[in-house]
Amino acid sequence: MEAVAITGMGVITPVGIGKEAFWQGLIEGRDGIEEITTFDTQPFRSKKGALVRGFNPKEFISPLQIRRLDRASQFAIAAAMMALADTGLTIGEDIPAERAGIILGSGFCGLVNSEAFHRGQVLRGPADLNPILFPNTVPNAAASNASIALGIKGPNSTVVQSFCTAEAALMFACQQLLARRADCMITGGVDELSPILYRGFNELRLTAWDAGNGERSAPYDRTRNGFIPGEGAGVIVLEREQDAVRRETHIYAKIHSIAAAGGADPVGENVARVIATVLQKGERVTIDLIDGAGNSSPRLDAAEAEGLRLALVARSAGIPITSLKSMTGEGIASGGIRIAADLLIMERGVIPPTINYVDPDPRCDLNVIRERRTVPVKTILHTGISLDGTYMAILLERNDGVS
Amino acid sequence: MQDNREVVITGVGVICATAGTVEEFLTSLREGRRGIKEVTLFDCTGYPSQMAAEIADYKPENFFSQRELRRISRADQFVLIAARQALADAGLNRDGAHTGVCLGAGAAGMSSAEVYHRQLLAGKRPRPSLIVPFIPSYATDQLAERYRLRGPRFTITTACSSSATAIAYGAELIRDGTADIMVCGGGEALSELTFGGFCSLQVMDPLPCRPFDAHRQGLSLGEGAAVLVLEDKERASKRGIPIYGELLGYALGGEAFHITAPEETGKEEARIMREALRDAGIAAHEVDYLNAHGTGTILNDRVETLAIKEVWGAEVYQLPISSTKSMIGHCLGAAGGLEAITSLLSIGHGFIPPTAGFEQGDAVCDLDYSPHPRTEEVTIVLSNSFAFGGNCTTLIFGKGDL
Repeated sequence: MEAVAITGMGVITPVGIGKEAFWQGLIEGRDGIEEITTFDTQPFRSKKGALVRGFNPKEFISPLQIRRLDRASQFAIAAAMMALADTGLTIGEDIPAERAGIILGSGFCGLVNSEAFHRGQVLRGPADLNPILFPNTVPNAAASNASIALGIKGPNSTVVQSFCTAEAALMFACQQLLARRADCMITGGVDELSPILYRGFNELRLTAWDAGNGERSAPYDRTRNGFIPGEGAGVIVLEREQDAVRRETHIYAKIHSIAAAGGADPVGENVARVIATVLQKGERVTIDLIDGAGNSSPRLDAAEAEGLRLALVARSAGIPITSLKSMTGEGIASGGIRIAADLLIMERGVIPPTINYVDPDPRCDLNVIRERRTVPVKTILHTGISLDGTYMAILLERNDGVS
Repeated sequence: MQDNREVVITGVGVICATAGTVEEFLTSLREGRRGIKEVTLFDCTGYPSQMAAEIADYKPENFFSQRELRRISRADQFVLIAARQALADAGLNRDGAHTGVCLGAGAAGMSSAEVYHRQLLAGKRPRPSLIVPFIPSYATDQLAERYRLRGPRFTITTACSSSATAIAYGAELIRDGTADIMVCGGGEALSELTFGGFCSLQVMDPLPCRPFDAHRQGLSLGEGAAVLVLEDKERASKRGIPIYGELLGYALGGEAFHITAPEETGKEEARIMREALRDAGIAAHEVDYLNAHGTGTILNDRVETLAIKEVWGAEVYQLPISSTKSMIGHCLGAAGGLEAITSLLSIGHGFIPPTAGFEQGDAVCDLDYSPHPRTEEVTIVLSNSFAFGGNCTTLIFGKGDL
């Protein structure tokens, strides 16, 4: 496969907004999870969330526009702007608008407006419908609003694929780039955590709660009992490697290979299958770090550990693994934030810790990084797992200037 | 990697207001049967329209057990019904190691979520399983699990162009060797939210929609599902299965203009159609039939016509055009898939499906919108799907040969 280079990133996360604040948060092991005060959590077993704080849309969007955009769209626009600025590309100048595309994973973007619109329908009836709300009820509003704000006219799509939503968008974006349908693809994921979504996750008994050990995101820990819902945006810029080299731009990393597989049962074997596939796709590589999908859910983390054990045999226990979701929480499209973190980890040679990892679960026999570690990281295996039966694996490779 | 494999369609399945099988769908298209009537699913009193292409005589218990019905939404049910037909049609068994699923979704499980939300607002304690199918990828997972398909899974959520894009990406996954077979398409169920939503934008026709007609007043919503089995041509050829046609090319782009309105001169839509033609390696005049997005809104039909004129130039008046939505309404997340099947049936059975209800055009909409079905040899069809957010997808199908 012709190599895809990642040349820019933009992040809005519960541990920091912008590349540097985000990185600082990660290596400090900053817990982005707090008690929710912006809406009433009284009816729910869970009380905490990983909300983005201090996001000021005015830094990115004109006040007139802000009023017409939901929070998810604001995240998408701001993160895409940061990512393009990071790689030094201006669409329409450095690259024709038609040759730049955007494919984002949508983490329930549009749900806030859907809820508000339907509430109006139910409570006030058909006579008084708000026409401003409806256009932004669609999951593609975030990517589309970003395409409008940034003048992106190339391949434009939105993907939702359970907890692999951002990884699925990335795979689609890579394909468009390699098929030369675009010269630059903006991809990643956007999540918006709304009261109604929080309710939904609680109703389905997916979230962490205080059963005596506090309400925490504790991936791979014996006491974990669910994930902490989060939000934010992680957006990256992809280019074909030759183009990035020709442009003499900074290349964070290359996508060595990417794989997807399906099948709800048996989960561990399916995780192993997708990892085996991603490793087969290229030459033999050493994995320096696993960016784990572990989200503090009892089943998911165990399935990931089993999959790693089956796929990597003796190697799995030795390879360091960290789960950023211990700090950022879980959004179905949080893979975008994780990929952005992967880039910084390789660039800066520091592995951020998995916080709240106190009581190792023997079912997760992994080398979990508890304290940040300074060590060169040349390759990262990034996993994506949905217990509904979607698995993704991405092998990222640091760019050492070898083209 | 096996680059650039060709992609053929070896099975189709459909359910919509006018048909519960592909045979019925073919007949309804040939006769120009319209399925747009008064909505019975929910109360539309007070809305500017009470019309939709609802699947009126649908009895879910004929297809699913009570237990299944607690966890799958109406849209998912349609997808599974169409999938069963398509997989049987393609002669596929369960357990596909290299078979993936790529579906488009619109409002997905909204119809179930609305029941939940309505009860919640009334101070009741709704059953949580109502929100399980809310996530758009739920139908994809359900379909894949039911047939034990173990290839990649993707769900495209770009409103009205979702299932067209799902077909395009599904084909790419075969082309680049990621999968041998992709089950593509999408489903949609009528929901209060989408119904009220389009009413709030004042784009619903109080009468059954009349795409491209001078007196058109907007769209009519519809519901249903379309599932297509896409397959590596060589593989299909080896197993000697008849094909519906071939995906010759596509284009996918954004208008970067407005969240709901199309760019008014049609130049962006024209650009996407041109890109698709280039991708398919054919000239505009080689297209035998254009399956339009044709929603029936004043703006869409005008802009789409302008775009078609720009691409076809002087030859535009020889091009048969029609809107499937005139018969089955706008099925949002299922629309692109239903129109893809319409395109393939047109090729396979040599006819131009009509724009039902079209009587007379206007100063801009003065093309051949095929008011009546007619027999004609069709080898290449171009199908448009345009969506909120300026998400445009154009697919081009050919007859193909094995």
